[in-house]
Amino acid sequence: MPGKGLKFLGSVCLMGLLMAAVPALAEDVIKIAVPSPYTGSAAGFGENVKAGVTLKVEEINAAGGIDGKKVEAVYLDEQCEPREAATVSTKIANDKAIVGIVGHLCSSAHLAALPTYVREGIAAISPTATSVTITDKNKDAKGNVWSFRNVYRDDFQGKFLAQYVDKAMGLKKIAVFYENNDYGIGLKDAFVKEAKALGLTIVGEEAYMKGAQDFNPQLTKMKGGAPEALFIAGYYPEGALIVDQAKKIGLDVPKFGADGFDNADYIKLAGDAADGLYLTAPFLAETAGPDAKKFIETFKARFGRDVDWMSANAYDATAMLADAIAKVGADRAKIRDYLAGINTADKGYKGITGVNYFDKNGDCLKPAYVKMVKGNAFVPAPKQMD
Amino acid sequence: MLEQQLVNGLTLGLIYALIAVGYTMVYGVIELINFAHGEVYMFGAFLCMMFLTVFGAPLIVAVLLSMVCCALMGVLLDVVAYRPLRNAPRLAALITAIGMSIFLQNLAMIIWGSRPLPFVKEALPAFFKVTALSFGDVKISWMQMTIYIVAVALMILLNLIITKTRTGTAMRALAQNRVCASLMGINVNRVIAFTFALGSGLGAMAGIMVSMFYNTMYPTMGYNAGVKAFAAAVLGGIGSVPGAMFGGVVLGIAETLGAGYVSSPYRDGVAYAIMILVIILRPSGLLGRAVTEKA
Amino acid sequence: MRGVTALLGPLKYLLLAAALAYPLTPVSDVYVLHVLVLIMVYMVLAMGLNIMPGFCGLLDLGYVGFYGIGAYTAGLLTLNYDLSFWVIVPLAVVNGALWGVILGAPTLRLVGDYFAIVTFGFSELVVLFLTNEIWLTRGPLGLPGIAPVSLDLSWLSTLLHPEWNWRYDFYGETPYYYLGFLMVTVIYVVMRRVEDSRLGRAWLAIREDPMAAASSGVNLFEYKIIAFAVSSGIGALAGAFFARWTMFLSPDMFKFWESFLVLCMVVLGGLGNIRGALIGAAVLISLGEVLRVVLPGLGLPAETRFLAYGLIMVLIMRFRPGGFFTAVAESTLTSPLIMDLRRTLAARKTG
Repeated sequence: MPGKGLKFLGSVCLMGLLMAAVPALAEDVIKIAVPSPYTGSAAGFGENVKAGVTLKVEEINAAGGIDGKKVEAVYLDEQCEPREAATVSTKIANDKAIVGIVGHLCSSAHLAALPTYVREGIAAISPTATSVTITDKNKDAKGNVWSFRNVYRDDFQGKFLAQYVDKAMGLKKIAVFYENNDYGIGLKDAFVKEAKALGLTIVGEEAYMKGAQDFNPQLTKMKGGAPEALFIAGYYPEGALIVDQAKKIGLDVPKFGADGFDNADYIKLAGDAADGLYLTAPFLAETAGPDAKKFIETFKARFGRDVDWMSANAYDATAMLADAIAKVGADRAKIRDYLAGINTADKGYKGITGVNYFDKNGDCLKPAYVKMVKGNAFVPAPKQMD
Repeated sequence: MLEQQLVNGLTLGLIYALIAVGYTMVYGVIELINFAHGEVYMFGAFLCMMFLTVFGAPLIVAVLLSMVCCALMGVLLDVVAYRPLRNAPRLAALITAIGMSIFLQNLAMIIWGSRPLPFVKEALPAFFKVTALSFGDVKISWMQMTIYIVAVALMILLNLIITKTRTGTAMRALAQNRVCASLMGINVNRVIAFTFALGSGLGAMAGIMVSMFYNTMYPTMGYNAGVKAFAAAVLGGIGSVPGAMFGGVVLGIAETLGAGYVSSPYRDGVAYAIMILVIILRPSGLLGRAVTEKA
Repeated sequence: MRGVTALLGPLKYLLLAAALAYPLTPVSDVYVLHVLVLIMVYMVLAMGLNIMPGFCGLLDLGYVGFYGIGAYTAGLLTLNYDLSFWVIVPLAVVNGALWGVILGAPTLRLVGDYFAIVTFGFSELVVLFLTNEIWLTRGPLGLPGIAPVSLDLSWLSTLLHPEWNWRYDFYGETPYYYLGFLMVTVIYVVMRRVEDSRLGRAWLAIREDPMAAASSGVNLFEYKIIAFAVSSGIGALAGAFFARWTMFLSPDMFKFWESFLVLCMVVLGGLGNIRGALIGAAVLISLGEVLRVVLPGLGLPAETRFLAYGLIMVLIMRFRPGGFFTAVAESTLTSPLIMDLRRTLAARKTG
């Protein structure tokens, strides 16, 4: 009778599932959900977000929590997979103790989770999802925004960088390398559009897949067009290799990237080739206020590595959410209204990444700075855009 | 430019070839697509890095130790996971291979973290950066030369083992007919374990060279490389060792040329398209022996 | 033993009734419903894939390709032409089956694992197409805002009464739960009937011994093509449902790993057994969710979730290499001739 053990197993699974659905009974904590990839190929990024949130939550709890209640961050793994994200989103919506969300990390995962958040009425602040599409899909039927972000949109950074290349650097012939995902394509499209409008020449657009290691064919092809600069729309793990391989084949030109490069590991991976990269960043450590300096030090002491923009943004996003909870209480709808109300620079939250506030679409409006890598360290670029 | 692309393709192809022989040898003896092979390759890189940093071993020692460890890992994989399923339905072993692949990948992630790590630069000899050969614009560094030499040497060695030694003969006998081989007094399990050890050792070497050459390693690196190498093994004729070597080089060059001249987003597609065409037109692969449907 | 079996009959219906009533009870919640709907999607996929390795003995490693084709067909038709779900489903199924035939015609003559490898390559090409043909699929940017399923009977209601408007737009998980339930039931019944039909018997004959099947007058190629088309069509059906349910598609959803997941369900459940496919889907999908809760409870970090997942898969195969159910058709087991034979054999063994 093979069915017997099986029915047992089936019922165990079903029971487990039902148990998984029952929220914890402890009500003296305020929970926030942090859905991000903690396993799979994007887990390294999820680790960054987790680090930022962890620091803020510990800070709040050390100061006595919110209204005497401790804050608990619930880390939910979604592997950066839209399907998993959709499942996780219902788990979050279902746990009534969770009042707000910091996440998701990836735009595609965020987009897959959004319908649930909008339907069930829980607000999310993404510290990292940059896709332009989120702007169109984050409202309910009444036009209320349920998803905010304190990170630039792809189109903003792409446009900004194209202007920087032209106006501040005076470079005219650009080769474009982009990662074939939502981030890379969004960034690339905005960059190329603005570059063409400014009269720059694009001498080649080449794609690569996440996890690729060999970029020589594309670089060799680009070298034929004799570019004066290389724009890389992607993240640092692949970007560092591109920079390294470009130097090896003799394509030693200034490189430009967006926030995807803002990670100390870039320098480790790119080695001697790291110098000569310009990138956008929401804040400059050198000119940042005392809060940011303290954060940078604490981060390094705690995690043994330099801070990156994802951790910094996650830290601020958590702070904004905690702020909202402190002001209006642990009520999902009120938290959303509060967040939506932060719509001018005056009302904005002054965090370590500058003043965080949202426009009517929940997108952030922050100034961008340019950093560069010089002498194997991130330093502010000599020229900044006004 | 064409010359440069060919040089790039050759580097890539030789690495694919080293991984591909692991797939093909295991397939030859037990007809299993060992999906965990890509993970062994990844472990090779990480273990080498660990021997260099934690134990401060010199490069050569670290490389050899890592190869030995991975060979042992391959044997362990066979003994623990696949051997108990030798007489079970074939798909059970395949699912086990997938399960082991997930397990090992996540194990690496827990041990070494999920962020990409650079290779230990200090351990590399200085001459690796020096140009070994140059003609026109094309430069080949000593690092690339080392990859060529090591890969080719290892493959020659492998061929010698397979064709000249008793164990190699036993492996070939097993590939032809397991039952007959065991009737001839061949210790089937030992030969299979040996096959796993050989393939895994070579896979580890490929992992080390890749991480050295590109200066990066991360826990999910086994997937992409594994899939490509698998395609290479098929291209050459799965089960055929010279085929896998040849397939690896062909695939590496085709992929590089495809990315350089045709379309970079479809770079991986080139590999699969060639694979499908070869299978349809010449199902036994470029160098494989013809297979007839077993009645 | 007999008492238990006798009890199982009514119990089965009781469970069925409980499952149907579940979303309406106060204990139902959106998370469990979501996971259950996901399980249903995978049940359909597993039943569809089961035809290939289970019935015909052909290993298909690229099943997710057809799932993706179905999903994108539905997604694009919804976004661009605003067609009703009920029109899209047959179109998606036909499109999936069509690609099955296109791929199958040149490759189904291949022997052994070569067929498996071709299907694998095909599914990778499908993902590359979905990723790179941005003009059509928006590539990695994904397809957001796909309309939910709606049940539009306004044409009928206005005919009956000008002020009636019988239109229902699906909202939340509950309606999808019932739609999914319906889908699983229909496919299950169809599969059970097919298994016992001339078609199913031909497939099983091919699996057991192609040469013997051919000499008994089974047109191997024809039956294999039918199997592939039906299997792909069912994959596309699941895709169409999935697209209108999650309302967001991205090429990431149709990676190679999904094919494996479905194959694991089929093998774990018992190759060739329809009920096994259902159980396999339920076990593997809920396992991921159960581990999410259980592991932190044991003091292990979230990062160990897939470590345990992989290990459990290995262990199940180790101790149940044939899957949960044996691959024997139900009709065979209940046939009086076979039962008689088994009894004789058992008697001979003991005697």
